[in-house]
Amino acid sequence: MTTTEPRPDPATADLAAARDQHYGPPGTGGPDFQPNVVQRFAPFALAVVTPFALEMIPGDNPGNWKAFIGLAALVVIGLMAWKWTPRGRLTHRQEMRKWRTPDQRMLAALTIFFVLAAPFILASDFSPPMNFPWATWFAVLNLVLIFAMGAAAFNLLVGYTGQISLAHVAFLVLGTIIGAQVGIIFDLTIWVALPTSAAAGALVGVIVGLPALRLRGLYLLLATLGVHFVMLLIYREYLQSRFGFVGISFPKPNIPSALHWIPGVNPDDNGEFIITGQFRWYWVIMPISVGTLLLMSNLVRTREGRAFAAVRERDISASLLGINVARSKLLAFAVSSAVVTMSGALGSYYLGARGEDSFDIQLVLDYAIIIVVGGFSSIQGAVFGSFFFWVLPEWFKWAREELWVVKEIGFLSDYPSEIDLAIKGFLVVLVLVFKPEGLTGVWRSTKSGITKLYRRTARSGS
Amino acid sequence: MGAVFAANYFDLSVNLQLIVGGLALGAIYSVVALGFVLVYKSTDVLNLAHGEFLMLGSYFAVTFLVTESLNFFLGTAIILVIMLFLGLLIHYGIMRGMVGQPFFSIVLATIGIATIIRAMLLIFYGPTERGRLTALPGSGGSWEVSGATIRHVDVIILVIVAVCVGALFAFFKYTRVGLHIRAVADNLEASAAMGIDPDRVYAMTWAAALALAGLGGVLFAHVTAAIDQNLAAIGLRAFPAAVLGGLTSLGGAIIGGLVVGVIEQLAGGHIGTKWREPVAFSVLFIVLLVKPTGLFGRKDLERV
Repeated sequence: MTTTEPRPDPATADLAAARDQHYGPPGTGGPDFQPNVVQRFAPFALAVVTPFALEMIPGDNPGNWKAFIGLAALVVIGLMAWKWTPRGRLTHRQEMRKWRTPDQRMLAALTIFFVLAAPFILASDFSPPMNFPWATWFAVLNLVLIFAMGAAAFNLLVGYTGQISLAHVAFLVLGTIIGAQVGIIFDLTIWVALPTSAAAGALVGVIVGLPALRLRGLYLLLATLGVHFVMLLIYREYLQSRFGFVGISFPKPNIPSALHWIPGVNPDDNGEFIITGQFRWYWVIMPISVGTLLLMSNLVRTREGRAFAAVRERDISASLLGINVARSKLLAFAVSSAVVTMSGALGSYYLGARGEDSFDIQLVLDYAIIIVVGGFSSIQGAVFGSFFFWVLPEWFKWAREELWVVKEIGFLSDYPSEIDLAIKGFLVVLVLVFKPEGLTGVWRSTKSGITKLYRRTARSGS
Repeated sequence: MGAVFAANYFDLSVNLQLIVGGLALGAIYSVVALGFVLVYKSTDVLNLAHGEFLMLGSYFAVTFLVTESLNFFLGTAIILVIMLFLGLLIHYGIMRGMVGQPFFSIVLATIGIATIIRAMLLIFYGPTERGRLTALPGSGGSWEVSGATIRHVDVIILVIVAVCVGALFAFFKYTRVGLHIRAVADNLEASAAMGIDPDRVYAMTWAAALALAGLGGVLFAHVTAAIDQNLAAIGLRAFPAAVLGGLTSLGGAIIGGLVVGVIEQLAGGHIGTKWREPVAFSVLFIVLLVKPTGLFGRKDLERV
C-alpha cells in the first residue's frame, strides 16, 4: 500500500529520484496522479467498442488490416489502462477496487478486448500455422465458459469456505431436471428456465448444506456423496417417467433481442434468431458466465466472503469473532449450488441432449481436476483450470496428428481418449505434489517476476 | 446378486436368501473398508481411489484366473503380491511428497490416482465387460434350506474373508510390524519418539490396504454381474461401511461392511435394485446425523 510509505518531499532532487524509482520511470503520471472520469473509463470503453467496430468495417477481404488495427488498438488500450491508474494517496474506495494497480487494470482491459474479439477471430477463416485447430476451439471455448462457472462455484464452496462437498454433479443433474421441466414440459423459454433452476439450486443447496452444520471434513464428504446417488436415482426416475429411455433433447432457444445488433447475428430465412452454431451460443453463454464469475469474485471480497474464509480456517474461532457460522455455511452452499444448478441447465441446453449416462461420478472428478490444476481457492483458478482442461485434449489431438515425432507413435493414436484420461490423472498428482498452487500459482509467480524485471530495468535506466 | 422381488416382506426363505447374499457382499465390503480404514487411521489419508484398487484386483483376477487359468490360490497370491508392491509404490512415489498438505489436496491426489488406474485399465483391457468369474473352487452349486437358495459361493466368500480377517488381526496383535502400525495409528508423535519409523509404517499400511482391496476385488469378481469400469463405483459403497463403523475402528469397519451389505440386499430385493445405493447412503446419512462419529468411532475426530 502506498499510503504506508513515507511520502518523499518533491522539493528535494534526491528524493525525487528515489520517488521515480518507487513509482516507475518518469512520465507514468507522477506519484499523485489521479485520472479524471474520462481517463478512468476510456481504456475499458475502448476495449468494449473496438472489437465490434472492427467487425462492422465493410469491405470484401479486410482481414489483414483489421488484424493490424486490432493489434494497434491492443497496445493503445494497454498503455492507457496502465498509465491512467490512480497513484499516490488512495481513498479507501480506491483501495478496495477490484482493478486497482496498473497491471490489474491493463490485464482487465485486455481481457475484455479478447473476450469480445474471440468469437469474431474464431468465426473468421483465419488459418494459423501448423494446422492448429482453431475451429474446434470455438466449442471448447463455450464449454470452458460453462465449466468455469461450475468450477468457480465448486471452489467457492470447497476452497473458500472449506466445506468439502461432492454433491456437485447432483446439482448439475438438478439443473438438467429443472431445465427440462420448465423448458420442455411447461414449454417456457430458457430465460425462465435458468433463473428457476438457480432458485431451485439455492433451495436444495441449503437443504444439502444442513448436514454441514453438524458434520465436518470427511463425514460431510461422504454425506454429500450420498446426495449424489440420491439425485441420480431421481434423475433416472424422472427421465423414464417423462422422456422414456431416449433421453432428453433440449429445444434450441432464441437469441435475446438485445443481442440482435451483434455483427454476424442475422435472422434466418423465416426471420427467427434461433441459436445455432457456436458463435451465437457464445454470445448467450459468455455474458451469463462472466456475470456469474464476477459476482462470485466480488462475493468473496465482501463481509460474507471474509466470513467464508474465517469459517474455513477455524469455525470455532470464527464463531467467537461474531460470525454466524451456520449462516455462512448455508449461504456458501446456497450460492454455490445456485450457480452450479444454473450451469447445469445452461450446459444441458448447450449440449442439446442428456441421457441416462450423462452424469457419472467421473464428472465430479473432472471438476476436481479443474480446480486442482487451476489453483485451489481462487475464482481465477477455476477459469484457468477449465480452460486447461478443455484445451489439453485438443492440444494432444493436434500433437498426435501434426507434431513430427509424436505422430509416429502408434500407441498414442490407438488409445486417444484413454491416454488423455491418464495424462489428466498424472497431471493432478504431479500438480499436487510439485506445485500445489496450480496454474494460479504459476501465473502469480510469472507476474511478480515480470514486475521485478520491470522495476530493475526502470532503476538501472534512470 | 439377482434381485428377488418378494410379494411378502416377511417371507422367511426370501429374507434368508437375501441376508446370506448380503452377508457375502458385506464381507467383501468389510475387506475393502478395512483397507480404507487402515490407511485413514494411520496415514490420515482419505483414499477415494480405493474403489479403483478393488477394480484393479478384479481385472487382475480376469488375467490370472481366466486368461492364464492359474489355480485360484496361486493366482490370488500373485495378485496380492502385485498389490502389495503397488501399495509401496504409491506411498514412496506419491504420498510421501504430500505430507503436510491440506486434507482435501490429498483427497484430490487419490482422485488423480483413481483416474490413472481407470485410464490404464481402459488401455490394457479395453471397454468390453467381462462376465462373472467361476474360478473359486466349489462355487458352482447351491443348497436348498427351507425354501431358500443358499449359493455356495456366498458361503465360501464368507469363510475366506473370515480367515483373512482373522489372519490380519493376528498380524496386528502378534507381530512387531503390526504393533508398529497400531502404535503409529494411535499416536504418531509418541511412536516416532520411541524409534518407530513412520515412513516405513505408512508404506506397510498402504501395502496392506491395497492387498485387502485386491482380495476384495478377486472375491467381488465372483459375485458381480459384470467386470467393467463400473466396479469402481461399487467400491465407493465400501465408504458407507467404513463410516458406519466409525472410520477409526477396524472391527467397526467389518461390522459396518456386513450391515451395509445386508441393507443393500434387503433394499434391492424388496424395493428394487436401483434403490441399493440411495438406501445405503441414506442409512449412512441418518447414522451420521444421530451419531456423527459412527457406531464405533472415537470422539476426537477433527481433521479439517
